[in-house]
Amino acid sequence: MLKLSKTERTAYKMILPYVLIIVALIIILLSSNVYLSFIDDQGNLTFSNYVEVIKDPVFLIMLKNTVIWTIFSVAGQLLLGLLVAILLNQIKKGEVIYRSIILILPWATLDIVAGVTWKWMFNDMYGVINDLLMKFGFISDYISWLAYPNLALTAVIIANIWKGFSLSGLFFLAGLQAIPNQLYEAAEIDGANAFQKFTHITIPQLKPILTTTLMFTTIWTINYFPLIYTMTGGGPGYGTETFVTYIYRISFKFLDYNKAAALSNILFVIILFISLLYLRSLAKEDA
Amino acid sequence: MKRVLYIVVGLFILLASSLTAKTLTVWVGGQVAELDRTWNEVISKFEKQTGTKVEVQLFGFDTYYDHLVTAYQGGMGPDLAFADLGGWVPTFASQGWIESIDSNLASWEGKEEIWENLWSTVTYQGKIYGLPWYTDCRLLMYNKQMFRDSGLNPENPPETWEELVYDAIKLTNTNKRIYGYGVSGTKTEHTTLGYMIFLYSAGGKLLTDDYSKAAFNTPEGLRALKFYTDLALKYNVSPNPLSYHEDDYRNLMVQNRVAMSIGGPWSFPLIETANPDLDYSVSVHPYAVAPASVLGGWALVISKNSSNKDLAWELASYLTSYETWMYWVEQEHGPMPTRKDVCRDAPYFQQDEKWQVIFDTFPNAVARPPISEWPQVSEQIQIMVQDVLLGNSSPEEAINKAEVKVNEILGN
Repeated sequence: MLKLSKTERTAYKMILPYVLIIVALIIILLSSNVYLSFIDDQGNLTFSNYVEVIKDPVFLIMLKNTVIWTIFSVAGQLLLGLLVAILLNQIKKGEVIYRSIILILPWATLDIVAGVTWKWMFNDMYGVINDLLMKFGFISDYISWLAYPNLALTAVIIANIWKGFSLSGLFFLAGLQAIPNQLYEAAEIDGANAFQKFTHITIPQLKPILTTTLMFTTIWTINYFPLIYTMTGGGPGYGTETFVTYIYRISFKFLDYNKAAALSNILFVIILFISLLYLRSLAKEDA
Repeated sequence: MKRVLYIVVGLFILLASSLTAKTLTVWVGGQVAELDRTWNEVISKFEKQTGTKVEVQLFGFDTYYDHLVTAYQGGMGPDLAFADLGGWVPTFASQGWIESIDSNLASWEGKEEIWENLWSTVTYQGKIYGLPWYTDCRLLMYNKQMFRDSGLNPENPPETWEELVYDAIKLTNTNKRIYGYGVSGTKTEHTTLGYMIFLYSAGGKLLTDDYSKAAFNTPEGLRALKFYTDLALKYNVSPNPLSYHEDDYRNLMVQNRVAMSIGGPWSFPLIETANPDLDYSVSVHPYAVAPASVLGGWALVISKNSSNKDLAWELASYLTSYETWMYWVEQEHGPMPTRKDVCRDAPYFQQDEKWQVIFDTFPNAVARPPISEWPQVSEQIQIMVQDVLLGNSSPEEAINKAEVKVNEILGN
């Protein structure tokens, strides 16, 4: 039995109510969600909620959309974040200003504000994106970005990359600054060029941070709702319907709580699976 | 020590007395929320008359529905709430969240004065669950200046579909991104409402009279779907409908970019705020067979969990009384009261031609089907219109598919 000092015991007592409330809330909410997903309108036990949501043709469409949305958003955010972090790491003068403008601004912008702003920028009658593309001669007529499923999905992914890259960038910048300079100096003496230094020092040194960031952004992106909701509402057709916008529609618009619970449990299992994969690869690295 | 005791006792007395004065919670969403000055006057008069404390919570329309549903679901709904006439009332009634007001209505003076076509929107399984408070109906709004600029007579807006196309083509100049008519095609309720106006004005209807089956897959329904989508696809008189709906078109009309679109009385103050000089008017929406419109608005509903149901009804009937409404219209010039006597008597309405058009159109207005499955049905209509606009299916295929889906949703 562990002996606790008096102050430690007081500390435990003081956080106990908080821990209890959090645990109770999570357990109650999660279990009521599981319970809801297995009953029908009359309260009988049934599997039909799961069968019906999977059989619905929209399920496959939104699963596909979720995969595309997640892969491209995460890839874009990580690549752009890494690039920006490397560039910012070179800046020695006025770095605070650059960092706060580039890394904090998109992240600190309210989701709804960002969504509405991007919606206006993509507008096909007075949007700035069309205007710029036309001025530079890339297009001959304004494009209705949000009017066609594939273009709309591209548009929300672009907006999401902008919204999310800064957080990855922030993580990467912190990681870059932790890499000891001697490593680069030693490599220079050995005659390594910039690319070799990047692949042999920067990437391996950053790897733990890369993996963690990858996991977090993947889970956040799957669960991310406000941008799509404000920009397209899941449309046109089911063009930008992802797991979370679909769950939202079923529970809040159709009031079909049982099916929504079934869907969110499926999503929970998927995310749990992804987290386990990451955790295992992290554990391997540590070993 | 004694002093502390006095203070504690005093506090208790204060607390107890504040608890005995009854508090009534009221939730307001959407446009009424903006009319705060008159609202406050009306409410404080009620507080004085009854000695009740009324706590009003305002919500923006976008978040109101979610807040309300979450509160009802948790058994914490407000005593009295505003509910949209577009299917909210039967939905809430089917979930057992709100109380029927049949017995209150039986002894109320105003029942005969409510526009008859409103009752179906607040009825569920033969019982009435809400008291309609203000209403509106959809009309054609048009920009008179743009009519003049294109050589059209601004006093002679289109009456039929043929005239609509003729005028819209004249008004459109795609190079300058100026369009004659705005077709709503987004994945929102606006698209369903747009299609419904064309459907009913072609002589069709959405569901059977008992709401048990789809009734729009008829030659009339197909004609309406073809014409509605052709306005954008064939005649090219609308901005890309998949990105815009009537609220956007209202803004574009203010900028002289779109000449005609569907709108209603709620648009007037918004237009006048955005551009006080805009020369615009309203008329009955162009039709193929008969004039048609879709009505909307808000009803007052009483929560089943409320401990002050009688008081909540008292406030609801007070708000809907002849005196309150006459005062309201005098102060605010709108929205449209659900009481026929106020629409007839209010001096402000009598001198405005736009309101006379609205009152003439209103008896032709249909309500959205008052069924709890309405959101799902409405989504299928939106998908149907979008499928045609995207070129994914022909109008025939889209309407067949929508009919099957809607019947599935309605349990056939």
